[in-house]
Amino acid sequence: MVSTRPPDGTTDESVARSADALLVRVTRASAGRTAGILLCAAAAAAASLALPAMLGRTLDLLLESHPDAGRALAVTVALTAAEVALGAAVALLSGTVGARSTAWLRLRTVRRLLAAAPRDVSRFSPGDVATRLSVHATEAGAAPAGAAQIIAAVLAPVGALVALFVIDPWTGLAFVLGLPALGLLLRSFARHSSDSVSRYQRVQSLLATRLTDALGGARSIAAAGTVDEERARVLLPLGELGTEGRRMWSVHGSAMARSGVLMPLLITAVLAVGGFGLADGRISVGDLLAVSRYAALAAGLGSVAGPLGALVRGRTAARRVNALLTVPPLTHGRAELPPDGPGALELRGVGVAIDGAWVLRGVDLCVPGGQTVAVVGRSGSGKSTLGAVAGRLTDPDEGEVRLDGVPLGTVAADVLRREVGYAFERPHLQGATVGDAIASGAETAPAESVRAAARAAGADDFVRALPLGYATPLEEAPFSGGELQRLGLARAFAHAGRLMILDDATSSLDTATERRVDRALAHEVRAGTRVVIAHRLSTAARADLVVWLEGGRVRAVRTHAELWRDPGYRAVFGHGDTSGARGDR
Amino acid sequence: MVEEAASTARRPTRPGRRRGTLRGLMPHARPFLWRHRRVLLRLGAWSLMESAQTFLVGICLARALDQGFLVGQPTVGLAWLAVAAVSILLAGPVLRGVFGQLSGLVEPLRDGLVRRAVREALRRAVADPARAAGAERAAVSRLTQQTEIARDSFAGLVLTVRSFLFTAVGALVGMLTLAPELLLVVVPPMLLGLLLFLLTLAPMAAAQGRFLDADEVFTNRAGGLRGQLRDLVACGATGTAADRTGGLIDEAAASTRSLARWTAVRTLALGTAGQLPVLLLLAATPWLRDQGVTTGALMGALAYLVQSLLPALQAMMTAVGAAGSRLVVVLDRFVSAEADGTDTGEPRETESGDQGAFASPVPGTAPAVWCRGLRVSYGAGTRPLVEDFGLSVEAGERIAIVGPSGIGKSTLAHVLSGLHTPDEGSVRLAGEPIAGRSPRELARMRVLLPQEGYVFAGSVRENLAQLEPGAGDDRLSRAVSALRLGPLVDRLGGLGADVDPGALSAGERQALCLGRAYVSPAPLLILDESTCHLDPAAEAHAENVLANRPGTTLFVIAHRLSSALRADRILVLDGTGTAFGTHESLLRDSPLYRDLTGHWNASG
Repeated sequence: MVSTRPPDGTTDESVARSADALLVRVTRASAGRTAGILLCAAAAAAASLALPAMLGRTLDLLLESHPDAGRALAVTVALTAAEVALGAAVALLSGTVGARSTAWLRLRTVRRLLAAAPRDVSRFSPGDVATRLSVHATEAGAAPAGAAQIIAAVLAPVGALVALFVIDPWTGLAFVLGLPALGLLLRSFARHSSDSVSRYQRVQSLLATRLTDALGGARSIAAAGTVDEERARVLLPLGELGTEGRRMWSVHGSAMARSGVLMPLLITAVLAVGGFGLADGRISVGDLLAVSRYAALAAGLGSVAGPLGALVRGRTAARRVNALLTVPPLTHGRAELPPDGPGALELRGVGVAIDGAWVLRGVDLCVPGGQTVAVVGRSGSGKSTLGAVAGRLTDPDEGEVRLDGVPLGTVAADVLRREVGYAFERPHLQGATVGDAIASGAETAPAESVRAAARAAGADDFVRALPLGYATPLEEAPFSGGELQRLGLARAFAHAGRLMILDDATSSLDTATERRVDRALAHEVRAGTRVVIAHRLSTAARADLVVWLEGGRVRAVRTHAELWRDPGYRAVFGHGDTSGARGDR
Repeated sequence: MVEEAASTARRPTRPGRRRGTLRGLMPHARPFLWRHRRVLLRLGAWSLMESAQTFLVGICLARALDQGFLVGQPTVGLAWLAVAAVSILLAGPVLRGVFGQLSGLVEPLRDGLVRRAVREALRRAVADPARAAGAERAAVSRLTQQTEIARDSFAGLVLTVRSFLFTAVGALVGMLTLAPELLLVVVPPMLLGLLLFLLTLAPMAAAQGRFLDADEVFTNRAGGLRGQLRDLVACGATGTAADRTGGLIDEAAASTRSLARWTAVRTLALGTAGQLPVLLLLAATPWLRDQGVTTGALMGALAYLVQSLLPALQAMMTAVGAAGSRLVVVLDRFVSAEADGTDTGEPRETESGDQGAFASPVPGTAPAVWCRGLRVSYGAGTRPLVEDFGLSVEAGERIAIVGPSGIGKSTLAHVLSGLHTPDEGSVRLAGEPIAGRSPRELARMRVLLPQEGYVFAGSVRENLAQLEPGAGDDRLSRAVSALRLGPLVDRLGGLGADVDPGALSAGERQALCLGRAYVSPAPLLILDESTCHLDPAAEAHAENVLANRPGTTLFVIAHRLSSALRADRILVLDGTGTAFGTHESLLRDSPLYRDLTGHWNASG
């Protein structure tokens, strides 16, 4: 069997390790700032630990009108200011490190994505790539800052608990015993309705399904004139959504009521125990103030969930980002192509596998320079894959492709893309304007070649009819399938090299335009080798040579006239009626 | 999300308008709040109990110290603290009551947003069906994700703002009760902190807006990169794409940093509002003692500040800073999506006059489909798909339309159905002009069955009778048996059974839609590749049954060549040039038809 995945990174463990290594690299890229977060967070925790004791002492001194009261107050003010300022610094640094880390991940992932063979990223849908690069990169980018805050998040509550014991062991004991006891007490009051959320989501997705169905049937609805009925039908589950929603809020309210009651009750319990200490003269009023604040701080152990959660989410997200980062790049050599080469194309034992299944196998093919070869076959016979390996949109899993005798894998990237051009059935245009879209390529084409190429592709007329002509923004020009194909052809013509691969690129053209494009290919566009993948009979008939593919293998390489005698070949063109066919023209 | 960007990009941008402005939302917010004033009042009533609870906690602590622990009567102190504990426990039911009222405010908001989302999505889809599939994800995201963001953010805002206000009332009344002098010390720094916070609000919202914008633009670009990758690699344009994306990444990072700066500023404001009163209270202790303020009152005031006010303030500031901006942005999207709709939803100016139409021809003699001088394009300024096109088809004829994909066959079908208005020329069905007719009227003149068979969640009967709601079961049964839908309908559980569209195959959906067309009273049936998921034999049977339906004229946009061979006449679309004739005449006259049908002379 063929393995289409890289040998490493296949087991769960190694995937996790590789993602963690990625996080380490990200952290190292902002090492100084991350250390800053660590220091500031620790210092802020220390300040917040010192503050209650200082506050209590100041209160005691003030109540006694002690001469040192002023100095104590100054220290308290300084500590408070330090805590607030350090907290602000942590917020600033965390945001900055998050921004840097996210950008670091995004930049590398985008570069890798753009260096990959399109086939290798086809398993990621556009929406998936968008999610990985936006949400997941952000979450992974937040991991270093989260990790740097964990220590401080643990330090403050643990320190506070220790402080409780130091001030008055009874209060510490009251806290330690009270926490689980109260938790248990309140838990018994809680209503168990955790499934309300999932019921709500189910109704919600029912609504979404109905809307999706209706949008899919938009033409039917428009034709039937039943928009109002459809709206009512889609909205039918809304009442149930409201019911489930109200139930959700009530469950949420119960949970909030529980957690909202816990803390004040615990502090009250600690205060009661401290109150006895006060009455006994064991502790002072200031100590009681300190105790109440330490109890609150100690109860904040739950806040470690924040940075800890960020780290856990970050690790999971890093895996998702890493999946894109580990797509193998399409590496290029440094070789030049022989100057003025005719564009002779040679495939030797070429095989391509997708998900372990061969879609192309054992293809040997020699196209002399300057010739036009048509690739025909039923859908799924491997035509587009042949087109993709011929111009190195993908590497073959076995065998070799040579252009003018030079293996494609060794050719320098800029040389390769300058000399090999593509036009597709459904081209994706990029650029700000229609003119930019045609000019876009390894080298931006000058305005006059853009015009010439558009004329050759039969696109000049309709582009000039646009409000701003070639300067019309791409998004504002609605193109039909046929017009889009012509723009794709124009882009290929404007950058024509020694090899051009047309992958069903004229399927939506009317006959007149197709003829025009054909003439242009013969006379106006730079001469070279053409590989034309097509369903139309006329294309095959006009080609110098026809490659007939069947089930991923070459069935025959001959001229159309020779192949036409074969009924199997005629069947490729959906030509069932063989008797009355010939001699029509 | 990706599609959404595409659709927003297509809309003309309005440079003067910054998104997420509160002012734009006010006209919508006021009537909403007014409609729910009773809920608001009840919410206030429950919240007042929260004030009472806050009030009690401080008072009890002060009394516990002054009358108990500090005067050697710990049992009295304990009793006061027990009162505080009871009041805290009562906060549980109070909070449940608050949430009960909250849902009465939040759920109607969500209902309204869902209704808007569905109405808008359907309106847009029906106005421009060709783009409906592309806008699907945006519509679903608006229906689910964005309404949920609005719901959660709104709830968070109401909860925290309300909590702060009523906690503040309880605490301030408490301090007033303990010793009015406390207020003199505490209120000014609190107001200062709040003022600082309010000052950060606008720049914070702007930073949030910038961040959300940058994130959205980058997300769309990331999805777009994946879609364009093949073309980018093939053109060797990956370098420029990387540079352009790099710029977006930088902007996203810069916006995050700016957001972090404002978060830091907010932290400082929070520190001022929360900690300054505590420090001032400490500093003022000697003076307060001179005024006769007791130690217990002092501790009670500190408890108010630290235990009640500071957490409420922190929760509110966080909620307003984050959820508030998100809510404004999301609501603004709903509002502006509708505003856009009213801009572009105007029907196009129709038809060069067709006065002859009013002289209605004698029924039965008028052609079933007649058009003249048609010029059809996708929009103003674009190249026409057909020009000066005319056609006359007799009732009962069977017509096939063939041509390369993307040449405009479906658009022509839309024009003949009255769904797409031609730039020039007029269309009459059975002698009646179709311009200016309502969708309902049109539905009784013709049936257009698109490729995607639309079956909705409802009964089999409702689905079959969609185009003739009054049709009796005998009529439906005739359609079922004629089109051989019996086994399918039986499997679904009969005419009364509910259909789950997702559980049907594409072919089964198409089969039900063919039954729907059979039941319709319209004399003209247009099948736009609406049998493509049936096997050839089933397709042939369905076409024959529909063609033989009494008084029927059938148009078939051919998916297979066999459909063309069954037709009386064939229309070949070849750019603006068209050919219309029989199979034999087209083989002779139309090179495209020869090409499409595979009739090519090998030696030629």
